[in-house]
Amino acid sequence: MTTDIPGTGSPDASTDKAGPARRRTSILVLDDEPIVCKRLKPFFQKAGYEVEAYNVPAEALARVEERRFDVVITDLKMEGLDGLAFLGKVKALHPDTDVIVITGFATMETARESFRKGVFDFVAKPFKLAEILDGVRRIEKERGLAQ
Amino acid sequence: MELPSLRELIDRWRPKPPVPFAVLFKKFKSILERNNSILELMGDMGDKLGGDYIFDRQYILDSCEKLGDQVFKLVSDLSLLCQRKNVALFTAFERIQYQIREELAGRRALSRTDHILPLAELTHDLADEGGNKMSFVGDIHNILGFTVPEGFVVTAGAYFDAMERAGLRRRAAQTTDQLCQDMGKGVDEASRELREAILNMPLPRGLAKAIQQAANKLSGEGRHLLAVRSSAWGEDGESSFAGMYESVLGVAPKDIIPAYRQVLASLFREEALRYRLHRDQCREEPAMAVGVMRMVDAQVSGGLYTYAPLQESDEHMVVSAAWGLGKPIVDGTAETDTYFLKRDPPHTLVSSEICPKTTRLVLGPGGGTRTEDVPEDQSGAPCLTPEQLTQLAETAMNLERFFKRPLDVEWAFTPGGELVVLQARPLSIRPRYCTIDEDVSEATKDVPVIFSEQGISAMGGVGAGPVHLVDEGGDLSDFPYGAILVTHHSSPRFARIMPKCRGIITDVGSATGHMATIARELRVPTLVGAGNATRLLREGQEITLDAEHNVVYDGVVEALCRYELAKEDVFEESWEYRTLTRVLRHVSPLTLLDPDAESFSPERCKTFHDIARYVHQRAVEKLINLSETHQEIKASAPRKLITKLPLGLTVIDLEGGLAPAATEEIVEEDVRCAPLRALLMGMNATDMWETHAVAVDMGSFMSSVTRTMSADQSHPSRLGRNLAVVSREYLNLHLRLGYHFTVVDAYLGGSVNDNAIYFRFMGGVTDFTRRSRRANLVSEILEHFDFVTEIKGDMVTGRVKKHPTRAMLDKMFMLGGLIGYTRQLDTQLDSDQAGQHHLEEFLQRISTLREASE
Repeated sequence: MTTDIPGTGSPDASTDKAGPARRRTSILVLDDEPIVCKRLKPFFQKAGYEVEAYNVPAEALARVEERRFDVVITDLKMEGLDGLAFLGKVKALHPDTDVIVITGFATMETARESFRKGVFDFVAKPFKLAEILDGVRRIEKERGLAQ
Repeated sequence: MELPSLRELIDRWRPKPPVPFAVLFKKFKSILERNNSILELMGDMGDKLGGDYIFDRQYILDSCEKLGDQVFKLVSDLSLLCQRKNVALFTAFERIQYQIREELAGRRALSRTDHILPLAELTHDLADEGGNKMSFVGDIHNILGFTVPEGFVVTAGAYFDAMERAGLRRRAAQTTDQLCQDMGKGVDEASRELREAILNMPLPRGLAKAIQQAANKLSGEGRHLLAVRSSAWGEDGESSFAGMYESVLGVAPKDIIPAYRQVLASLFREEALRYRLHRDQCREEPAMAVGVMRMVDAQVSGGLYTYAPLQESDEHMVVSAAWGLGKPIVDGTAETDTYFLKRDPPHTLVSSEICPKTTRLVLGPGGGTRTEDVPEDQSGAPCLTPEQLTQLAETAMNLERFFKRPLDVEWAFTPGGELVVLQARPLSIRPRYCTIDEDVSEATKDVPVIFSEQGISAMGGVGAGPVHLVDEGGDLSDFPYGAILVTHHSSPRFARIMPKCRGIITDVGSATGHMATIARELRVPTLVGAGNATRLLREGQEITLDAEHNVVYDGVVEALCRYELAKEDVFEESWEYRTLTRVLRHVSPLTLLDPDAESFSPERCKTFHDIARYVHQRAVEKLINLSETHQEIKASAPRKLITKLPLGLTVIDLEGGLAPAATEEIVEEDVRCAPLRALLMGMNATDMWETHAVAVDMGSFMSSVTRTMSADQSHPSRLGRNLAVVSREYLNLHLRLGYHFTVVDAYLGGSVNDNAIYFRFMGGVTDFTRRSRRANLVSEILEHFDFVTEIKGDMVTGRVKKHPTRAMLDKMFMLGGLIGYTRQLDTQLDSDQAGQHHLEEFLQRISTLREASE
């Protein structure tokens, strides 16, 4: 599996030419199915977000240890690190990061567990692009993030 | 072997007790439910190909698993219902299931043992066999319809075969492995040795013979020369490998085998090996397919970049051209004319530079090419006319739109003036403003939005151009090149203008309809069901359609178009998209159409849809048959319902659906089943049965129908047998009238919460366009009466639940009218306006009738 997506994310908002006045909402996407990253990244970029996408959990984890994201979108079932564990670590590091879980294996149990761990939303795969964008917009609204 | 016990012998001798009818009917119901869920699942999978969804590999695997399971159970249910083994049907199921599994495993069995694939059969689906470059050429001809040289491909399979037999496949793998470990040390030596070995390797006899024969034929037994081109895996794809492999031009057929070897050997050229090491690809086994094409006798040829690689010109495309064959241009050794053209239609000439061209490369009479002097009067003249430039520009932009990449196109004009596309490859240079840190959202921030979040994306992507409104049934012959088609209804008739248009927006339509399927095939950004687009957009208005975010912007948003071309990955080229498309070919198409035809057999089932259709038909027939023979039913007797209209209806009463005293032949007054009564009233109460004006004397018309009906009682088969299973509150109706097929399942009269109507309508004998028009009409009518509808191709389903019984009975009345009204309708729906007219007409008639009855 190639992972040429990570690391090519947009520059930090603070270094953006447009200046600090315009801070864009930052999103980290983690899914071990490359197609999900390949499609979500340009989709959110086009909608005006700062996006980084990873399909290796360890790389994503290293990244959230480096910096905070406004929103984390993560798959649940992955090789290496389980999405729930990742969710827990993100929340421990940055309690004010909101997490949306996307999964093809939605059961009541995992949904409940996710919400217990403080997940913001739970989206079953396959999903509509509009659905996930809506989730992010709700987060922005609740957190008072400008768009 | 044990002898059977006496008890068993007696059991065998005794006639088997019949399975209770209630059990069989339950099986029948379960077949219906499964059939519906299969159709829905198929529709769901089709929807995912539209641009609105994110789905992954797991989804494809799960859906196929689920679908296979449901279809298997459907076939099993039929076996139980019919008490037969249905071996042929299980075999058909196994065959289709196997094909789907092979697709999922990425195995496409090579159908040709001679490893030769005609260009006419090659598209990107066969990129594994034909290599990237040649499958591009295949798409250009076979999907987009442009002229390319005639030719064939010696497949990647042939390469493996030859290498394997010569003992070189393993050696090549070991060599690259070693190079990988040694960080490329000794690459020059390794490259030389491998190439030498390939240049001298014997080809399997069958392969050599097949290549020779195909080459002889292609060359017209030596009259034409051939171009032998590399088409390696990955070449011109994610990695470009541009110019690293060899192509041999001007090959006489007798020299084809050495030329073939030469191209194979170039797979291990030093540059290519280094490139693979550098790109960390050395653990992937390379393969070389080889294209053999007839040399085009070019009067003028050259190259075109859809984005000029010069910074100050990156709004433009650039054409270079010279007299004769194109090789010196590609090599950069020729004096060429250079033209800069606008990327937007009408592709105005921005600047041109005409050079003196002293020599040209031409085909030699006996093979090979030779350089000759250009006649003096041509030397200083421009090689291309304005018309030729326009044609080139339009062609290139169509290719770019399809491949969703800036392109480098090699082309030639023949002495006869025909434009031939020699090849197209993605430009490794991306448009300048398309770097990731250019914030595309900034570019759209201040652009006025005409509408957004309306409609369904049937095909993602971005397209910009002037709006061209097409009236329903309107003329398409003057559709302007580069426009965006805006129209009320989706219709497959737009297929022929799709190569010309940059995008499609419809008010009404579904992502799984025929038009959407064609738009996906041609990769035209398409938004369907946008509601009021035809009212919001003006003729000629410049717009940009983003069919991924479902937004239409006022004006041309150049940055958005560029961003689209610069995306790293093209969704349509992903494994997921390609696999789902291929899997669906074994799932969705319906090829079993006419149940009376001999071909309506398990052996002819090509897809899961065919199986579902077959099972449904047989199940209905079986139930009718049971109603006539089953002991339990015989006691209460299936009844022939003598209706005023020729329905040929057999009624099975489960409980209280018919008057107790009713005899074997019953009339409508004997019907106690509330939903059936309402439906029949709807059919009868109107002149809806025939849509054209019926003679004034309705009574005599109807009585003549009734007479015909009575005469036919002894030959029910002539009418087609239709079936209703009823109780007082329940109706399950299967009605086949001609080629129309209607299913109604209704439960009305219990508690409001249990009230439900399911309606399904499909079939017809006319072309797809009219059938989908009718599907749209039926759907709009149903929606008017609160049904939740879905259109899949020419099938419409409608569901409505939990309305009060009285309102639900009104809906049954309406359905009766609708069945009659649409019976012949598709032959009359010759334009989309006619659809609108019929919609109004129907609603008008129904409302008049309802008022009258109140």
